[in-house]
Formats: sequence, C-alpha cells, structure tokens
Amino acid sequence: MFNIFERHTPMMGMGGGACYVYPDAPATIGEVTPDITFDRGIYMNGSMTMDDGVNVEIWGFTDGGGGNQFPSPAIRVTEGQIVHTNLTVNGMMWLHTIHHHGIEPSQENDGVGHYSFDVDGTYTYQWKASHAGTYFYHCHTNTVLHAEMGMYGGLIIDPPEGWGTLYAGGPTYDVEAIWACDEIDSSWHNLNWDAGTCGGDVGLNSLNPDYFIITGVDGAQSALTDPGVAVTMNVGQKLLVRYICAGYLPQRINFGGLTATVHMSDGRALPKPVQVTELETSSAERYDCIFEPTTAGVYEVTVDYLDWVTGAVVGTARTRINVN
Amino acid sequence: MKKNMNRRNFLKFSSAGVASALAASTGLVSWTPRAEAATINQTFNITEGFITQPDGVDVYFRGFSPDTASLTVPGAQMIVQEGDTVNITINNTLGTDHSFVIDGLVNSGIIAAGSSTTVSFVANSAGSYLYYDGLNAPYNRLVGLHGAFSVMPSGSSNELYAGSPTFVQQYNWVTNDIDPAWHDAVRLNTTPTSTFKPYYFTINGRSMRVPGHADYADPAIDSGYATDTRLEGSIGDRTLVRILNAGMCVHSMHFHANHVEVLARDGQAFSDIWLKDVVRLPNNIGSVDVIYPFDPPPDAHPPVTTGSFPMHMHDEMTQTAGGGLYQFGAATTIKFL
Repeated sequence: MFNIFERHTPMMGMGGGACYVYPDAPATIGEVTPDITFDRGIYMNGSMTMDDGVNVEIWGFTDGGGGNQFPSPAIRVTEGQIVHTNLTVNGMMWLHTIHHHGIEPSQENDGVGHYSFDVDGTYTYQWKASHAGTYFYHCHTNTVLHAEMGMYGGLIIDPPEGWGTLYAGGPTYDVEAIWACDEIDSSWHNLNWDAGTCGGDVGLNSLNPDYFIITGVDGAQSALTDPGVAVTMNVGQKLLVRYICAGYLPQRINFGGLTATVHMSDGRALPKPVQVTELETSSAERYDCIFEPTTAGVYEVTVDYLDWVTGAVVGTARTRINVN
Repeated sequence: MKKNMNRRNFLKFSSAGVASALAASTGLVSWTPRAEAATINQTFNITEGFITQPDGVDVYFRGFSPDTASLTVPGAQMIVQEGDTVNITINNTLGTDHSFVIDGLVNSGIIAAGSSTTVSFVANSAGSYLYYDGLNAPYNRLVGLHGAFSVMPSGSSNELYAGSPTFVQQYNWVTNDIDPAWHDAVRLNTTPTSTFKPYYFTINGRSMRVPGHADYADPAIDSGYATDTRLEGSIGDRTLVRILNAGMCVHSMHFHANHVEVLARDGQAFSDIWLKDVVRLPNNIGSVDVIYPFDPPPDAHPPVTTGSFPMHMHDEMTQTAGGGLYQFGAATTIKFL
C-alpha cells in the first residue's frame, strides 16, 4: 500500500525557505483511460484591476496554455465520467496542488500536500464524478495564502441529462449564473508562495479584506453590469444560480426581493427544497438556487461579508438580476 | 519522538514536572447505556499554567483539571444519560472568582477564590453541551475554563436524541481561538483592551503537526493523532462528532472523503438531514452535531476503502500558528482503517 510518509521527506529550507512541503509527482495508481481530461498549469503573475484603479496581484491555474483567467478555467464534466486533471508545476520556484473541493477521491488524488505530495512536475489526478452538483477546485499548498491569491476555479458536474438540469430527475433551468463570492486582503497579495511556512508572523491569521468580488469581478460597481456576473433573463424563464462561498469570512447573500428555491448544497440534493430570500453561509459552502421571477424588474443582489467574531458587515459586493 | 514533554503543559506554580495534562483524555467517548438513571459524581480543580503553542510560544491558560497539580484544557469529557443526577464538586485553587455553567442545566454562581462548591442537577435533556466558567465573560471561558458534557437519550447507545439517525461511535471536539494578549491580560487579572486577534486555533486543546516536525504523530501534542480528536473507523463505522465552539470566531468545518449528515445546530435538531462537506459552526458556545458515515470515498477510481484525510476549518486563517506555519492549526485526521 502507498505510504506517503515513508516515501517522502519534507523539503525544508530549500530555495526561498519553504518548510513542510512535500514535492513529488508519482505515477497515478490504477491509471485508466479517462472519459475527459483537463490540463492545468500555474500562473503567479496575474493581476486584477479593481474599480478604484488599484491592481492586485492574482495567482491561478491556466488551461495548460496561456492566459491568466481569474477565477481559473472551470472544470465541467458529466456524472459518471472518469476525469483526469493533469497539473503541471515547473517546480524550480514553487509548489502547488489541486484539491477538487467536495469531490471525494483516494488519499493520493485528494490534493492535500501533507497527506500526499505537493506537485513538482506533472501529476494526473484521477477521480470519478459520482454526484452532480456545484463544486470548486483550489490549491491546497500553503492553502491559507494560495486560495486567497485566487488559485481556484469552478467545478460543475452535470447529470446525464446535461446542461439545463440540476441533478438526475431534478429541476431544470434555462439560464445559469455562477457566483463565486470572495474577499481580498490586498496586504496579503505581495507575499511569496511559501510565506510563513517556516514560521514567523506574516499575518496569515488575520484577514482584513479591502475588496469584495463576485466571480473575479469587483463587487463595488463592476459586478452590477458585468455580463459574466449580472443576469439578464425573461419572465417565464428559470434561473439557476450556483453560489460558491469562495472566501474565508461568513457571508450573507440577499436576493433583492426575489425568492430562491434551494435545491442542493455541497453537491447533494436537499431532502426537501427550501425557499429563502437570503442565505447565511460559511467558507466553501455551495448552494444551488433556482429563481422563477414573475415580475419584470431589476433586482439588486447584495453579498455582505461578515466579521468572523462580531458578525459586523465588513464589506459588500453587488450584482443584478435583470428580468425582462 | 516526544521532546520537552514537561514544557508542553506545565503549571505556573508547580516545580514538579506535569507531563500528563494534555494526555488526560481517554480517547473516543465510550458509553454503555443503563436501564435506570444513576448518580454521577465528578470533581474539577480550577488551576492555571502555560501551554506551549506550535511556534514554541508559551501561552497562559486556566482549566477544569483532574487534580490540583495539573492543568487540563479543555476539561475532561463527561457523558451521562437523561435522568441522571449529576454532582460536580469544583475546587477553585486560584485567587480569582470562577463559576461552573451548563446552559439550560446548571449555574453554580460565584465560586469564590480559594473555595469549593458542589452543584447538583438532573441531566434532563439529551444533547451536546459545553460546560464553562460564565464569570468575567467571555475571558474566563476563552482562557481554557470549558469542556464537553454529553447527555445520551435514556437507555440508548447509538442516538443523539431518541429517534435520531444512529451511530456506532462518538467523539467530542471542542474548538477554541487563542489571542495570547487576551490570555496574558487574564493572567494579570486585568480586562483585555485590544481587539480580539487569535494567533492559535485548537481542537480539544491541540493544534496540528505535520510530517517532518518533531512532534508529528505524538498523540499528546498533535491534534492529528490525539486519540480524543482523530477519527478512526472502518467502512460503516458511523461516527457522531459533537462539535462545540468555546471560542469567539464562527468557523467552517470541512470534512474530506465523506459528506457528513448534519443532525443539529445549537442543540436544535433538524427535521431534514442535509449532507454537507462544509458545516458552519457558530461562535460563543455554538455547536453542531454531525455523523461522519465512513462510507467508501465515493469519487475514488479505482475504489478505495482505506486512507488518511483531513478535517480542517476552511476559514483558512485557522490553519496557521503565530501568524504563519500553515498546517499547524485547527485540524485533525480522518483515518479509514
């Protein structure tokens, strides 16, 4: 049996002084021909321009080619497929992993560095898409920093019916939005990939965000109209919002007067759907919400980011559902 | 493997080595139901001392300890059944007033400095409770005066409440967030004046260690190996985890390899059981009760029935110690045997 702790010696003090990382890229156990393959590389020189004109450094995954998409390119598969996610990390400078959050594969394919390895070279994560629903993927090396830096992307498993149905035999939709709501503490965004891993106070216990974003778009203004975030639909259509709490702080999302029917959370159907006008969520939760607005109008959706001690609102992102 | 054991958890005023304090817990909670209610007697000693954190910093704590010469944080896990009469004697060895409270069950009132008191109550409602010191709130609770108190349904060995989904084993996790400046203020019998800023994050009083660290896999120190924290099971060993938050921060508990069944939050049972890979844990004595099913990880190909996986908080600031040291925070290991 694969025993990671006997095979690997943690890398300590190498290069920039990384500690407690576990570089490796072993062969995938029981590798088979996949039904679908995704290639992912790394970028650590991206940036996002905020509505106030400030550029904030962003890291993420590429689709194996060029481009610095943020969030990273989505992984979308169909229930039942065997999936390969090929992660290539040119490890002279850094290490990363992919954890497919909510996907529950073997230890070696779970992408958690200290339970397996931090990818140094190319590793093929092999997993089976067993349950339709909304997930995301993110780096699990020095996670506190790397996920905050933007190393995440959407992960969606469609049922056999394909796009337009939430889960096998479940509700249908005509319009889809993916809202990954995240907060950014720009003071963290000038740290090295291995910051703090050898100890010392680099401030990673204290998140004081100054930007609040939805799916890579500043929620101060831009997300109100950005076509990748704001929704335009017609009365009579069914909208599916795949909400992902991609930040670390609790969030409260209010749907601006519309009522959501929540059918799934964390990739599992609820025993009974629930109807809500707002949701209180915590880090990494997902909720699949269907809207069937009956009245035309502009509905402003607000996402409040809450202090984890006091519950006070520390920032708000906004977008819109435009119903014609 | 074990180094400086006498430094891990030592009494402020004790000259003798006190090695057993953090190791006092006895593993997962064992329970044999009884047909009749019983009388349960327990003694706690309120003591103080220092506990060494993952970055080597010694932080001041107070605890409900088994004797006057040790410090235990959190206090010993207690488990009784509905209808039991519980007598708890608390010896306050310190120079400050303290109390013993279980919301909905008992409140000792002031236990004056240097005095003892015995409280008696009937455990009349099944569920998961935190016992804690309600004085000087929240400071006395935060600096370690807390522990888990479980009430089983009468005559039952495998339910959270009568008629709940069943389990075959159970654990308590008590979480805490530690701001050394606040702990030091309490040590000096002053009121903290700074904004709460936690630097350490614990489950059952311990933080995670990882391969390559001297204390890795030491069950007395490493929360990934502590027997009262680490989940171990074979396929089908459905495991109740009673999670109690003694700290100030809302947390997001992320389980790898299986979704959990969420049975209750803040003592309120859910009529519909949701399957979640992330569970919100309210702060300030918030609680959540979940069952980790130990099903084969559903997305493994080829299928597996063994492996080690983390449970960690996903509000990732909690995965640090001293402002860095990722992976040395509030996490544990789920071991599929």
